[in-house]
Parts: sequence; C-alpha cells; structure tokens
Amino acid sequence: MSYSGAVPTARSRAMVRETRHLLFSVAPGAVWIFIFLVLPSAYLMGVAFMTNGPYGLPQMPLSLDAFERLAGVGFLGWSPGNLYTLLRSLWQTLVSTVLVVIVAYPVAYYITTCREKWRPILLLLVVVPSWTNQVIRAFGWMNLLAPGTPLSSLAESLGLVAPNMGLYPSNFAVTLGLVYNFLPFMVLPLYAAFEKLDTAQVQAAQDLYASPVRAFWHAVFPQTLPGLLAGTVLVAIPAFGMYVIPELLGGGKGMMLGNLVANQFAGSSNWPLGAAGAILMLIATFIGLFAMRRIGKRLGGGEEVVI
Amino acid sequence: MSETMTAETADHPGARPAANARGRANHKASSIEMQGLHKRFGRDTVALDGVDLNIRAGEFFTLLGPSGCGKTTLLRILAGLEEPDAGSLVVGGKDITETPPHQRSVNTVFQSYALFPHLSVRENLAFGLKMRGMPAAERHSKVDEIADFIKLGDLIDRHVDQLSGGQRQRIALARALICEPDVLLLDEPLSALDAGLRSQLQVELLRVQKRLGMTFVFVTHDQQEAMVMSDRIAVLNGGTIQQVGAPRDVYERPVNAFVAHFMGHDNLYPISARKSDRLITALGELTAEEAGDGELLLIRPETLDLLPGAVEGPNHLTATVAERLYRGSHAEFRLAIADTTLQATVNNRGRHLPEVGETVTVVVAPEDLVTLSE
Amino acid sequence: MRKRTLARGLAGIWWVTLFFLYAPLFVIVLFSFNSANSTAIFENFSLAWYRRLFGNEQIINAFGNSLVLAVSSSIIALVIGCLIGYGMYRHRHRKLGWLIVLIYLPIVLPDIVFGISEMAFFVQIHEWTGLLQPGLGTMIIAHVTFQIPFVALIVYSRFVGLDPTLFEAAKDLYASPIKRVVHFMVPTIKPALISAFFLSFTLSIDDFVISFFTAGPESATLPIYIWSAIKKGVTPEINAIATLMIGAVAMAAIFSMLFNRRGRR
Repeated sequence: MSYSGAVPTARSRAMVRETRHLLFSVAPGAVWIFIFLVLPSAYLMGVAFMTNGPYGLPQMPLSLDAFERLAGVGFLGWSPGNLYTLLRSLWQTLVSTVLVVIVAYPVAYYITTCREKWRPILLLLVVVPSWTNQVIRAFGWMNLLAPGTPLSSLAESLGLVAPNMGLYPSNFAVTLGLVYNFLPFMVLPLYAAFEKLDTAQVQAAQDLYASPVRAFWHAVFPQTLPGLLAGTVLVAIPAFGMYVIPELLGGGKGMMLGNLVANQFAGSSNWPLGAAGAILMLIATFIGLFAMRRIGKRLGGGEEVVI
Repeated sequence: MSETMTAETADHPGARPAANARGRANHKASSIEMQGLHKRFGRDTVALDGVDLNIRAGEFFTLLGPSGCGKTTLLRILAGLEEPDAGSLVVGGKDITETPPHQRSVNTVFQSYALFPHLSVRENLAFGLKMRGMPAAERHSKVDEIADFIKLGDLIDRHVDQLSGGQRQRIALARALICEPDVLLLDEPLSALDAGLRSQLQVELLRVQKRLGMTFVFVTHDQQEAMVMSDRIAVLNGGTIQQVGAPRDVYERPVNAFVAHFMGHDNLYPISARKSDRLITALGELTAEEAGDGELLLIRPETLDLLPGAVEGPNHLTATVAERLYRGSHAEFRLAIADTTLQATVNNRGRHLPEVGETVTVVVAPEDLVTLSE
Repeated sequence: MRKRTLARGLAGIWWVTLFFLYAPLFVIVLFSFNSANSTAIFENFSLAWYRRLFGNEQIINAFGNSLVLAVSSSIIALVIGCLIGYGMYRHRHRKLGWLIVLIYLPIVLPDIVFGISEMAFFVQIHEWTGLLQPGLGTMIIAHVTFQIPFVALIVYSRFVGLDPTLFEAAKDLYASPIKRVVHFMVPTIKPALISAFFLSFTLSIDDFVISFFTAGPESATLPIYIWSAIKKGVTPEINAIATLMIGAVAMAAIFSMLFNRRGRR
C-alpha cells in the first residue's frame, strides 16, 4: 500500500517543522539563561574547590580549604565566628518568618472581611512599600531607629537598650527589617487562601465548637495551610540569603550568611570561601524548596505552591 | 424528506429574492474529491483509515458519526489545520493536500466560534478580508452587506463578550461567509445552543446555503440534525466511511448494523435461514420484497400497523404489549413476540391505542423490510 | 459581642500594620524637607536638599544609568521571554521539564548567589578574552537573565487562557504566519506584554544586589549610589533622592489602581 510508504515523509516533515519551531522560540532564552546563569553557577561551584590565591582570586590546586575555613578552621586554629554567622542566619530566618505569619494572618483575614471593591486597594496598600528599593526601605528604618530618635529614646527610657546606643545597629533591627521586607509575600498567598475559604464550613464549625479559637483551628486554619506554605517559601528562602538588611541594619554583630559570602568577593577577598558559602546557601535553598514541595503534596494543595 | 424541507425553506415568505444577495447565488461552488486519506495521532490512534469521498459543488454535505469517528479530523484536513499522513485532497479541481490553511479558499465555523476577543464584531467580520489585503473602504461595505444578509442588525457595533451563544454563532457564520470561500466547513456549530434556538438556526443556515449555492460541509453527531439539513450524509465510524447517501437512503436503507443503530433503529434481527424471499428470524417467518441479501433484518417501527386481537394473515405477527409510551402525536410500543421484542410507533389518529398486556397483531409490509450486513 | 470585639481587634491590627509599613517611608519624605542635617529633629521646611541633588552630577549619572539599564534590559527580556512563553505554550504537550527547571532557576536562586556567580564568571571571562568588562553591559546581561522568566511565565499564562481554536481561526481566515503574529497574537496578548514590560522595569529598578555585583566603576545606578553614600555616612541628599523614588512608586501605584479599575469595567 502506498499508505505505509507515505506515512514517514508527511509525519517526519511535520515533526521536523515542529522541532525547528521549538528551537527557534525557546533557544534564545534557554541559551541566554544557560550561558549567563548556569555556566556562572557551575563556575562558582568549581571555585569553591580551589585554593585561595594572594589577591583573593582562586588558584589551583583543588582543595577543601574553603569548606574548612567556612567551618571555622583557620591559621590560628578553630574559631566559632562563621558558625555563629550561620546559626544567626537560621535563627533570624526562623524568627522573622514566625513573626511575619503572626502579623500577616490577621491582616489577610481583615482584608477578606472588607467589602469586595475595597479589597484590591487594601492589598495594593500592603504591597506598595515593597515596590520601593530595599536599600531605601532599610535606610528608612535606619532613620527611625538611630540613636536620638523618639523610638530609641523610648527604648532607652524603658531600659531596653544601653544609653545612647539606639535601636540600630542590632539583631533586633535586622529582624524588624526582615519582617518589614517580607510581610507582603505572606499576606498575598494567605489572602488568596482566605478568599477561597468555604464559608459554609466555617459557619458549621462556629456552631459545632464552643469557642471561636477552636472553630478557627478546626475549620479555618487547615484550609489556609496551602497559602501559608506558599508564603513560607516566599519568605524563608530569600530571608536566609538576605544581604542588604543585615549589612545596613545589623552592623558587625548582625552579620548573616549573605554578608559572609558577599564580603569574600568585595572586602576581604577570598573567592573560594565565598563560593563555599554560596554552595551552603544553595543547598539550604533546595532543601527548603524540596521540603515545601513534599509538604505541599501531602496537603493536596500542590498548585498553590507555585515553585 | 430533505427535498420537501429544502423546497419549504426556499419558498419561505421571509426569504427575499436572490437579488438581495447581490449576485452571490451560485457564485463559485466547488466540488471536493478526497482519496485515500489516512491520519494517525501518536503511535496507534487511527483517526482516518482510508477515506475516499466526493462532495458535489453546491451540496449541503454532512459528516455524521459518534465522537472519535474521524469526522472532525476529516473536516480539519479539509481546512488544512491537519495534514493527512497519506492521500490527496482536491477542491475545485486543484490539489490542495499540502496547501497551508491561510492559502486555501476554505473557511470554517468553529464549534467554539473562536471570535477574536481583542476585536469588535465589525473587526472580527473584516478579519479575513483584511488578511487578504482588501482595502478598508471595500471591507467596510462588504461587512455591511453581510450584516444585512445574515440580519445581524445592531450586533455589528457590540463587543464580542456582550454576545449570547446564538449571536456568536451567527457572527462566526458571517465571518466565514464574508470571505466567499469555495467551501464552507461547519464543525458542530449548533451543538452549544439550546433546542429551540438550535432548530431556528438550522432553518436559517439551510436558507443561507441554498441562497448562496455554496458547498457546505457540516459535521454533527446528531442524526436528526443531519437528516434535516443535508443533501447527502456520510456516516463515519472508526475512521472509515460506512455509508454515503441522501438522508432517506441512509435512514431507510442503512447498509450495516452500525449505521442502523446510529440512525436510531433498534429492530434488528439476525436471519437464521432464508428461502428465496422468505426470511426466518426470532420473530418468525416474514416475506420480504427486494430485501437484499444481508444477514440482518431491519424493521422500522413507524412502518408497522397494529390490529387489535389475534388476526391470521401473511406477515401477521401475534404479540403482547409489554410497554406503551404515549407521546401525544404518536405512541411507542414495546411488543413481546416469541422470545424477543419489537418496537412499533403508531400515529395517534384518535383510534384505539392498545393497552399494556393486550394481545395485538403486527402487520409488516413486505416492501418495508430491509436486510443489511453486520 | 465577641464578634464585634474580634472585628475591632482585626481593624486595630490592620491600622498598626499600615503604620508600620509606611512609617519608614514617611520619615524619609519628612526629613527630605528638613533644613537641618538631622533625622532626629525637624527644624524648618526647606528644599535645600533637592537643590543640592540636582546639582550633583553623580546622582544625575546614576539616575541615567538606572533608566538606561531598566529600559534596555526590559526590552531585550520582553523579546526573548515572549519567544519562550510562546514556545512553552505551543509545545506544552511535549516533555519540557528541562526548560521549566531552566526558567525557574533565576527565580529561586538567592540574589546574592546570582550576583556573585555572574560577577566571578564575568571577571574570569574578561581575564581570558577581554570581553564582558564590568559595566552597564554586564548589568544589562544580568538583569535580562532574571527578567526573562517573569516575562515568559506571564506570556505563557496569557496564551494558556486563550481558546486554542483562535489560532486556527486566524490561519483559516487567510492570516500568513507573519500576519498571525502582527494581527492576532500581539494584539491578543497586549495586556500581558504591557504588564510583563512594567514588571521587568520594576524588577530592574528595584534590584540592588545583582546590580551591585555586576556593576563597573562608571555604571553605578541610583540604588548603588545611595548604598555607597549610606556606607560612607554622607547622607544629606539621600532623603531627597529616596523621596523622589518613593514618589515615582506612589505614582505607579495610583496608575495601576486606575488601570485595574478600568480593566474590570
């Protein structure tokens, strides 16, 4: 039959055409990201396993020096400085994420209780500050928390800080900055979850359970978990790698992993050490994403978790 | 049946003389020849398995079949939206098997209507003309002309998302017609509409086709719709054509069990033995005239007569009423005969309608019996 | 009774949060009009800082750099991202997992890792070949890299939301491939293109970390200038520049609110 002979030509022609189309449309961007992000990241990974040269630039031979230094082993024996930085990063991430959740929950819920035509405007009000550059926002907090400002004076008179120290620079200022920076990232997904809330179920729960707290816990909270999870991904992961806020608000004792990494490429110059720190950050990021995905799948609300 | 329908619509009082179509009638109807069309999707989904089909110029031709029978694939091949794996397609004497859709003088009314959401109704209508490079002034008058012809009225100035389903359907039809294609393809254009609107638009569509004399290829899974609209019908199943013919042929003389079932026939009986024109089935012995030599006997319910009580006679079968569905204009009976059942439809002429449990005699006319193959 | 208390409590938290969100911005705006160089005591209303600002060539340069960077990177990202978004849509039935990973990489990578890996890479390439000298060029490359995914995803989701037979209708109605792009695809996804461009622009203007690491000595943007001024402790005009930037954001917010309203009508 002529059929069997003709099939491959017509089909393969279409296949070739489609594949050429795919390459034409996707290749420029894919190649761009590959050359300007995948290759650089791979290069950075490589740098982590090289030796630090005299000007902070990487050199052969390959070694694990950078990772030893990251763990605190130096010329003068072991020092806990880097480890403290790492623990501080984890701690700040944890505390700021929890605080963001505590603030975002009522805020998101409040927006859902408002009239429908106001909601987009209220959401916009929450988001607009984050449109301004993060350096400027951090600068605003520097102004607010510096020694001599009303807030600092108040804290001094309450004995919360030593006289003339001000509230900044401090770990407290960093936490505040992080919460400020990431609040909208939690409010938005939580708001989306609240908006989808099954009100019938909530009302049934209000009848079933004596206290509003229990009604909340049993009917509302489980339904907002996917939003909470999405928000946590959007807050915790970038918070762990934050550079600007600890640099401006934290001072020497508020350093986080991002600053440790950045400093190796700017001031003190030890590229392999910085690269090793970057690898650590990447590992944490991917563990975080992976964990959230797993939990998200178990919750069944996989689509809410965008990543 | 379809002949009468056609005559009626052409003489419809609302139909204005052909002059109003401004010389559109019979403008350039084209015939279609399809030969050996094959199409597979993926490894093993066969959509078309060797389709040979000729459609005459100016014909209202319907592709009828259940979903997955290949009718839509065939339509898409006509439109150029799908390329056949093998076979050829000739429209108006020109082989267009490999012509891309935008170079074919073929237009489609899509099932979802596919009106462009970023354009107004007027811009939607003018889209095809604009793509063909027609100057704006000419486009404008063409749009007015078609709007007048399809009676769009003030819909023309609306926005697409302000239109109802029936309105969208008419805009989609006008958008395809305005290009004056050799062939117009319609992919279940009425399936999304409710029953009343649907039959109204069926009549309207038919009227438009007759007035323009354009070749229409219509796809549907609704055999009633196919019979009302078509000059000829092709029944498809499993990627092959089962039967091609006028609605009466297909309905009254289906060639096989599939076509018979699809046209709504249930009274099919395997023939266990035959002596010249005498056929033995589970119902008993029946004499048939020109029944053909198929192995299944088809008895159409509406050809049967019911007599009260048991009456002896040639082609008379004694039965008991097992079920009666009273439908006003007619009644449907399920009759128990021997170990099997027979459906009968009787017009309600005000005479006695047998009750359930009553014994009746079924009179089968020899000339109404048809045999067909499995 | 309890319900009303709850509602009042919620409203209270909302207003406190709003105060918290806007206080730092308000302080900047307020002290930009202060006659004294202090952020603790407001003396008199004055436009002195603004006058100094417009006389500062560095700031004017930085502003220019920010604008050039944002506009040119957004345009490049729009073109490349659109192509990917369309490719992803057209071939959505294929297995494109590798492409999804590639597209999400710039989004999930921490800024700092993104910035330093590009910087390290550019420096190394420059050493070997003399190409990719740190400056506006490298910054544009870096910005395009993080803008592409956003453009691609916005364009893709717009296409996915369309009736797929529209593409066929365009073909059917005599539109050649080029005409399909010009008369069908581009007009249909125009809202997505506009929002993709503005998002890219905003991301670029907002970015500090990646710009900071890929910048050259002559290519400081406004955020970089502000950063180094803060670091050096020379901050008199910072409040004034920051106020102008906040003003721009406020304008954008009002614009988007009006745009949003009209869109819904």
